[in-house]
Amino acid sequence: MSSHSVHPAGPAPAHATAAEHPQAGPRTYVVIGAFLLLLTVMEVVVFYVPALAKVLVPVLVFLALAKFALVAMFYMHLRFDHVWFSYLFVAPLLIATGLGLALLWLFGVFGTTGRAAGVG
Amino acid sequence: MATTAAVAHPVLEAEARGLVSWLTTVDHKRIGILYGVTAFAFFLIGGLEALLIRLQLAWPDAQIVGAETFNQLFTMHGTTMVFLVVMPLNGAFFNYLVPLLIGARDVAFPRLNAFSYWVFLFGGLFINSSFFFGAAPNAGWFGYATLTERPFSIGPHTDFWLLGLLFLGISTLVSGLNFVITILNLRAPGMTFLRMPLFVWTTLVTSVLIILAFPPLTVALILLLFDRFFGTSFYLPAGGGSPVLWQHLFWIFGHPEVYILILPAMGMLSEVLPTFARKPLFGYVAMVYATALIGFLGFGVWAHHMFAVGMGPIADSAFALSTMIISIPTGIKIFNWLATLWGGSLRFRTPLYFGVGFIAMFTIGGLSGVMHASPPVDLQQTDSYFVVAHFHYVLFGGSLLGLFAGIYYWWPKMTGRLLDERLGRLHFWITLVSFNLTFFPMHFLGMLGMPRRIYTYAPGLGWDFWNLVATIGAFGIGLSVLVFLANAWRSLARGEHAPPDPWDGRTLEWAIPSPPPPYNFATVPTVRRRDALWLTKHPDQRGPGIADLAALVTARGRIHMPPPSAWPLLTALALLVLSAGPLLHEAVVVVGAALTVVGVFGIALEHMPRRADHGAGHDDVNIGTTGLDSRKMGMWAFLGSDWLFFGTLISTYLLYKGRSLSGPTPREILNIPLTSLSTFDLLMSSLTMVLAVAAIQRGDLRATQRWLLATVLGGLIFLGFQVVEFTTFVHEGLGLTTNLFGSTFYVMVGLHGTHVAIGVLWLATLWYLVRRGRIGGSHQAVLVDIAGLYWHFVDVVWIVIFTFIYLIQ
Repeated sequence: MSSHSVHPAGPAPAHATAAEHPQAGPRTYVVIGAFLLLLTVMEVVVFYVPALAKVLVPVLVFLALAKFALVAMFYMHLRFDHVWFSYLFVAPLLIATGLGLALLWLFGVFGTTGRAAGVG
Repeated sequence: MATTAAVAHPVLEAEARGLVSWLTTVDHKRIGILYGVTAFAFFLIGGLEALLIRLQLAWPDAQIVGAETFNQLFTMHGTTMVFLVVMPLNGAFFNYLVPLLIGARDVAFPRLNAFSYWVFLFGGLFINSSFFFGAAPNAGWFGYATLTERPFSIGPHTDFWLLGLLFLGISTLVSGLNFVITILNLRAPGMTFLRMPLFVWTTLVTSVLIILAFPPLTVALILLLFDRFFGTSFYLPAGGGSPVLWQHLFWIFGHPEVYILILPAMGMLSEVLPTFARKPLFGYVAMVYATALIGFLGFGVWAHHMFAVGMGPIADSAFALSTMIISIPTGIKIFNWLATLWGGSLRFRTPLYFGVGFIAMFTIGGLSGVMHASPPVDLQQTDSYFVVAHFHYVLFGGSLLGLFAGIYYWWPKMTGRLLDERLGRLHFWITLVSFNLTFFPMHFLGMLGMPRRIYTYAPGLGWDFWNLVATIGAFGIGLSVLVFLANAWRSLARGEHAPPDPWDGRTLEWAIPSPPPPYNFATVPTVRRRDALWLTKHPDQRGPGIADLAALVTARGRIHMPPPSAWPLLTALALLVLSAGPLLHEAVVVVGAALTVVGVFGIALEHMPRRADHGAGHDDVNIGTTGLDSRKMGMWAFLGSDWLFFGTLISTYLLYKGRSLSGPTPREILNIPLTSLSTFDLLMSSLTMVLAVAAIQRGDLRATQRWLLATVLGGLIFLGFQVVEFTTFVHEGLGLTTNLFGSTFYVMVGLHGTHVAIGVLWLATLWYLVRRGRIGGSHQAVLVDIAGLYWHFVDVVWIVIFTFIYLIQ
């Protein structure tokens, strides 16, 4: 790791600790963990209940997004940490999602591309 | 990690000499020189390959080389020039200059920097060693499937290529991460983003492109590796796969790659022109936005390389539009360069010659590029020599001329010697004339119907004359390189000594001696303006650009520099063994993997204090400009890059869903109850992980050990579930090669499991280090925090996989 007497542009803590960056405590983490378990149970229930088959995909996507957000914001501390970390994490996620959706579209997964039949 | 070397008096400190000092260097300047010399050696090799190609095509029915050798020549020429010449030459300048330009003493991760270089060197040697086995890659630098598949590419030619690129990709990715964090976090006080030199901006955007574009290539190569070594059918139509997928994945990497190749040269030009026009860069802010926009839009144009594939009019139109749009920020840059020169007090020195040459040649290449952006026009031009002309104008006329501008400009700073101006101009004019003789006729050849990649042609097709002209031009380029080599040798042997600021430069590197001392700046500068040095030498009413210019060469206080290390070289060697293993024996792969793990541990633990309280209370040298820990930023950037990796894998699974030619299907085989249990387990391991981080942050080391151990156990249980799942599937008739579902499932879930396994090893190591008292206290909490981020990322990826692969069937 680099070791040099570079001084930051502005006032900066010697090192980031829980004291300098207010974060959730252990109790909150346990509660989040309980929510994650609950959301997973809900996912499995939705999967197995035939009556919910028509709303399976949007419900599952919503539940997955909720779990994702809880882990990212609380366990990964994005909610409490510097916004730079959010930029570094979210921007590539958006690019990856966009590229993935574009690929799926080009391969006709969404049904319409205007592509020649049998290609891709 | 804390380092221990300190320079008490920088004036008395002599730079270490000798072979060992170069083998163990972590100094960005030495690493930059190593990159530059090595890349130039590969340039000579790639150039020889080009001359052989041109000799074979100089006249009809030539017999200089046969078809197979010709295939190897153009494949290696392209692969060499892209991956072993232009990218590492750019890397040479990133390494040498970026810390100097931002007022830093080194990059964020000096040992990873050295590791990147050694991996590059060994990767280049590995790929080129294929010639000695008669197995040089022969399927084009872009390795299109199905030509690269086993039935059509017999022998290890393609294996050398794909293993070599996987290996080289590690170097590039690590380097990209290093420079993103260096630029974000190691800028001198006062150097805001809009005070950074434009070359630093282009380095930043290039590095972001690297960390986002290389993962899709990695996935593409892994899928090809599985096809060739394990019999899957990711790209084989007979097994349900699609060769077009290879093209998409390759060009999703490949188009950002061309911006990775050109943006650094544009950045160099943006430093050279203002110096020799004695004017600030025109439209600096517009140039910054244009650079960022080119980088971003570069992800949206890739399929313009595939207009002939048959994507259909809607897709063709979308990519045609995005391709034309990207020419706008490029045009902004060109006009701003011209405006920089306009009205300036021009000093015609060699760097300016090459800079102006860049503008002209790149513009020509850009114009033919806009032609290619139109699908109906491209259908005539694609796979013809018109395309060869286009990309050589932008890559040779652009990147290489820009690199030569940079070489002539910064040579005095790097070597402490001046190049001969007359030889420099001779080099330029021979290059310019020969380059145009070589590549302009290729526009005509393309229009006359000459296809790419043919090793000979019949007489009477109308191609004879221009091919001969192009060959003559190519040998002229060879002559120009000899002129440069003569100039370089003469300079190093008996060239005039260079002062610190031979060009009356504008940026920080010209304020310190040529070559700079190991520590760069005796005192880190405080920057007040853009063009800081210029505005210090020529202050206006707003005052100087640097607070205390004299302090940059006058020591004040202690300077800590990272000590040399052998671990980067050793780890790169281990990785070479691992990469070559598939060509030799499975045991070599295992040994290589084990040695690589040892190397990684070596790098990680090398500077860890024996006791956790060592280093407590001192200023943390890893905290940078943003007030954040560079290591933590590096992990976030790596995770961002890993999104592209898993995103590509998941997308491949989804687009192949329902295309298997045979069963079993997901619905028939996936065990939701079992996977639900493993998902619960992984989620709970995330909880124990965050509790471990919270524990070490409050200094509770017993709780830290407890929660780390719980996380390790959770990870092992998850891996156990995976083993049970995989073995059950195999027993039920779903193997790796059974169908597309099996192939995509095992590869994707297996690679996720590999991430979990790495995490388990990491966390177990942390647990051990905490237990032994080598990690403890809140000042080292970041080490556990970083591991936690990795672990949580692995968890969120599983959340996506569980939902989209298991539940949405």
